[in-house]
Amino acid sequence: MTDITAGARPGTPEGGEAIRQDAGWRMILRAFTENKLALTGLILVVAVALFCFVGPLFWHTNQVNTNILLVNERPSAKHPLGTDDLGYDVLGRLMAGGRSSLEVGLAVALVATAIGVLYGVISGFFGGLADTVLMRLVDIILAIPVVYLFIDLATEFKPTLLLLIAVLSLLSWLGPARLVRGETLSLRVREYVEAVRTMGGRSGRIIVRHLVPNTVGTIVVNATFQVADAISILAVLSYFGFSLPPPTATWGGMLENGVNFLYDGYWWEIYPATLMIVLTVVAFNFIGDGLRDSLDVRLQGR
Amino acid sequence: MSVLEIDGLRTFIKQRAGVVRAVDGVSFAIEPGETIGLVGESGCGKTMTGLSIMGLLPNRGFIADGAIRFGGADLATVNEAAMRKVRGNEIGIVFQDPMTSLNPTMTIGHQIAEVVSEHRGVSKAAAMARAEEVLALVGMPRPAERLEYYPHQLSGGLRQRVMIGIALACEPRLLIADEPTTALDVTIQDQILALLDELKQRLGMAVLLITHDMGVIAGRADRVLVMYAGKIVEQAVTGQLFHRARHPYTGALLASIPRLDQPVKQRLYAIPGVPPDLANPPAGCRFAPRCRFATDECTGSEPALGGPDPAHPYACFHPIGPGSALTPAEVTEGHDRPGGSGAPSDLLALDHIVKEFPVTRGGLLRRAVGTVKAVSDVTLTIRRGETLGLVGESGCGKTTIGRMIVALERPTSGRVLFEGQDVGGLSGAPLRQVRKDLQIMFQDPYASLDPRMRVGSILREPLQIQGLGSAAEQRARIADLLREVGLSPRSSALYPHEFSGGQRQRIGLARALALSPKIIVADEPVSALDVSIRSQILNLMRRLQAAHGLTYVVISHDLSVIRYLADQVGVMYLGKIVEVGSRTDVYERPAHPYTLGLLNTIPVPDPEVERAKQGVAVAGEIPSAMDPPSGCRFRTRCPLARDICAAEEPVLRSFGGEHQAACHFPLQTPAGESDVSGVPVR
Amino acid sequence: MIGFIIRRIGQAVIVIAGVTVIVFILRHLLPGSIARAIIGLRATPGQVAAFNRENGLDRPLPLQYVTFLNQLLHGNLGYSFKQNMSVDAIVVHDLPNDLLLVGVSLVLALLIAIPVGIWQAVRRNKLVDYAATGISFVLYSMPAYLLGLLLIAFFAVNLRVLPAEAPQQPTIGGVLSDPAGLVLPVATLTLITVALFSRYMRSSAIDSLTQDYMRTARAKGLRQTTILYRHLLRNSLIPIATLVGISMPGILTFGLIVEQLFNFPGVGLAYFNAAVNGDYPVVFGVTVLVAVATVLGNLIADIAYALLDPRVRYD
Repeated sequence: MTDITAGARPGTPEGGEAIRQDAGWRMILRAFTENKLALTGLILVVAVALFCFVGPLFWHTNQVNTNILLVNERPSAKHPLGTDDLGYDVLGRLMAGGRSSLEVGLAVALVATAIGVLYGVISGFFGGLADTVLMRLVDIILAIPVVYLFIDLATEFKPTLLLLIAVLSLLSWLGPARLVRGETLSLRVREYVEAVRTMGGRSGRIIVRHLVPNTVGTIVVNATFQVADAISILAVLSYFGFSLPPPTATWGGMLENGVNFLYDGYWWEIYPATLMIVLTVVAFNFIGDGLRDSLDVRLQGR
Repeated sequence: MSVLEIDGLRTFIKQRAGVVRAVDGVSFAIEPGETIGLVGESGCGKTMTGLSIMGLLPNRGFIADGAIRFGGADLATVNEAAMRKVRGNEIGIVFQDPMTSLNPTMTIGHQIAEVVSEHRGVSKAAAMARAEEVLALVGMPRPAERLEYYPHQLSGGLRQRVMIGIALACEPRLLIADEPTTALDVTIQDQILALLDELKQRLGMAVLLITHDMGVIAGRADRVLVMYAGKIVEQAVTGQLFHRARHPYTGALLASIPRLDQPVKQRLYAIPGVPPDLANPPAGCRFAPRCRFATDECTGSEPALGGPDPAHPYACFHPIGPGSALTPAEVTEGHDRPGGSGAPSDLLALDHIVKEFPVTRGGLLRRAVGTVKAVSDVTLTIRRGETLGLVGESGCGKTTIGRMIVALERPTSGRVLFEGQDVGGLSGAPLRQVRKDLQIMFQDPYASLDPRMRVGSILREPLQIQGLGSAAEQRARIADLLREVGLSPRSSALYPHEFSGGQRQRIGLARALALSPKIIVADEPVSALDVSIRSQILNLMRRLQAAHGLTYVVISHDLSVIRYLADQVGVMYLGKIVEVGSRTDVYERPAHPYTLGLLNTIPVPDPEVERAKQGVAVAGEIPSAMDPPSGCRFRTRCPLARDICAAEEPVLRSFGGEHQAACHFPLQTPAGESDVSGVPVR
Repeated sequence: MIGFIIRRIGQAVIVIAGVTVIVFILRHLLPGSIARAIIGLRATPGQVAAFNRENGLDRPLPLQYVTFLNQLLHGNLGYSFKQNMSVDAIVVHDLPNDLLLVGVSLVLALLIAIPVGIWQAVRRNKLVDYAATGISFVLYSMPAYLLGLLLIAFFAVNLRVLPAEAPQQPTIGGVLSDPAGLVLPVATLTLITVALFSRYMRSSAIDSLTQDYMRTARAKGLRQTTILYRHLLRNSLIPIATLVGISMPGILTFGLIVEQLFNFPGVGLAYFNAAVNGDYPVVFGVTVLVAVATVLGNLIADIAYALLDPRVRYD
């Protein structure tokens, strides 16, 4: 029997060789680093993180005890960014504030994403009545102006770190839930999911092995935006008084304080904290945007 | 004077990986009143050529070189304002997918009137009047009423008519049709192609018909240009091309297409390998890596278009001729199935299967507004080791039946009997047991493999789920499976996106084989693949069937694919089986008018046969599956329909042996009856 | 289309019902009892008991909920003991100002964000695109009050061109008669909303731009402006309706912040003052009101969507 495939190079399988390309991660990394905005964001985040966590090793300040003798001092060699109305060194306080902001931001993003993903996947996968009920619940919570309520709560007490993270997470999980539900709905009918059913695979396997891994891209992008949003909301809440109790520093708290001196011209108590907030949030947004763009590209690069 | 003259066109596309030379030195001319067929596979540059003419290249595309002479100007270098005067006015273009090509928020009347207003500067009323005229011209029923319709309210065929109307509204001199019928059902395809022909005559246009379908070219083109990897490899008058092809690619292509008139045992020629990467095209002849006649000369230098006959140029150092063409004798006999010892037993039986999908509106208050009657009372038997082919157009229910066989859907009523057991009634562990024997191969090679899993894991998954074999045994099995489907065992470490469409179908087939099933349902196994790859997969399927004694259920809208693979054929229409029988019965002695219509609409790559066809095989649109016609469902499109067809539904009658058809006025004599005076169809 | 609208109304009703339940629960979770909160921390147990009996706070919870719901349905949002007015009276007084603030800002934001988004899509990856993206990013990343503060600092403190406080007249006519005082609050809310919209506007416009029907429009030889207006805009407007609906909670929240910042006499400010003073009936009354406003905003947006998209209109 003549081999009808004579003409192809000998030794190669009939189907031909695969077209070697980079594995998924490397492709994303490459696209990511090609996106200037995203790269800028990454550099900024790293810079801020270093500033907040490594900075104090070089710049020792006392962020616990107030010092009435040093209030509202202008920037000088001893205090490059001056001091605030409780005598704290502003530069050092920025670092401390950054730590709490970043910690809270990351923690909230993680918790909110975890809850949201679970909720969204279950809602999207099982559909029907469960989906309807779960999504109505999301609608209800979304409709309630939670920030209003927080402002009210702020007048009652100051939360602990854990409570703050919990409360912010409860605010934020709705976003990923909706997103993941949408993705799940569309992935659920993909042929490779149906193939698993035809092998006798059960729902659990489909969810864990096929649905979640394929939504990872969206989840990661969303989580990045969550960090940005969390830091931003934290700043807003701090302004209204709902933030960590003193002497813990937060950028929003610094702003809340500093705003009182707007007309006094004590700019160092306002603008540095402002800058840090904006810089950090913008940086995370850049990263999230860059990741989202690279995700699109990969999806199109069949 | 030619209508259009293209001279050395080079169109490139900037991509991250480099510059893709999509069109690399293409020259041809179109004379008034002629239809030029531009044929080739995906990536060959035919669409880019069409887009270059219109100046509609994608964002990163640009014309690097060459001239496009039209109406005394060079479209390649002319400015945007001048180009706008040409588009829609002197050159019209029809795209492939009418659903996405029409603006969903504008009425179709408005969309046609818009072109007229722009180029003729007439009043809105006059433009709308012209739009109505155009709709009538393209055969739209009730044109005045339809002016107010939105695209989503029309079927695919009607939408394509609207697209054609838009392209023709200003009576252009040239019409470019880019895969105009690929997204349409076969019977509708036939109508649209006939319409294009008729309009061409009426308006005295020239047509550039771009397609991958050789059958379409055979029937409609005066001259043909074959493109491969950005270059024209052969050019000839249609008859010459099909009967006296000189370029090996053309010959290979013609030999790899399953035809309705070839001997059944004849194996298709499979062009090995894949088309080249146009970011780094090979140095010599671009087809050489896949060419059975290639020599060192071919890989060294590039052949130019030439040859003894100036009207039939080709680009090859070793052209095929009447002597060296791939004659049937050269093609080896197909693998014979292992001879059955005794009569094959029944493996799967569909017993009065019905499947209806409720159409619901509403979130919390779901109410059924109707049901889609996808499958309505189908009874079929499949024997061990044989292949059942289910053929029909969209909405006929063939895919739903396939899904019910592998228990992805449960029948609304009726039974799916596998080895005597009712699969539809099983669940849990017994269902999982049975699933081992009922596997499926999906249509879309891009959606059927999890992009996040390596091939090895994809193939291991069925083994893991069913708990077959130890880790080492599984690994060995995976390597075996890959080898069997023609891929290297090293593929197991790679991800699906690193493979081509054809290769992914092989992986899909390997996955279906993993559990050593008795039945494999192949749902449109090759529709999403390039023409030159299809035969690879079809041959592979035949080979595997012989090696493993598989039973196939092949679902396709393509009659020639079914003919190549199936022993028993079932023709479906709107949820019903209208005809069933052996391959010879159905293809050579069709009893149902729909079957005959289908057979006549399939474009055959033979110009004489195509030209001999007259008129349209099957008129009208496919009715909605939610509201099928009473009595015989085909009666709204059947030339033989009479009153009784609306009143009474025909039942399946025997026409000898296993051949059955459901028709009040069949084309053959039913078994045990004397001659029926049938009315000729065409 | 009617079916779609009916369904959406049904959903809205359910959501509002759910909101009332949650607000009701929250009310009863108050630290300290309602009685103490309203009549003061030094109330004697006897006074507390009397108060409870009077106001039906000693009955089983489900019954209280029904009363609560009943009151709401009759437009009774509660009674503020501290201000000695019904909550409705307080709210009704300030509502027109809110409608002015939010309404004008929303319209201005759309008028800015839509053209900018389309412009960005048409000139994507060029300098103007990056610049616009950069600006909107920065705007979006600022905590809401920050923008307001910066505007105040610049225009009111430094340049002394505009007042830092919104007009304080008691009626809407009065408010409108002092346009200068409206400029900064409206500008702040507008800019924040523009930033909110611009992210999705750009990607939505790019999505629409790459659709096949845009290619058909070009193939017809239409002029660029015609193409943009007739084809791109119409299709881009559809997701905007949904976007506005989704943004309602955000816009109302930012509205509160802006009101507090500029002392704008709106419902948000009334809420803020009530929260600071521990005036709970107002707090919860306004919460319910804002929630209902959010749901209604969503509903209107969805209806707009149904009207804009022929695929929903002619189903």
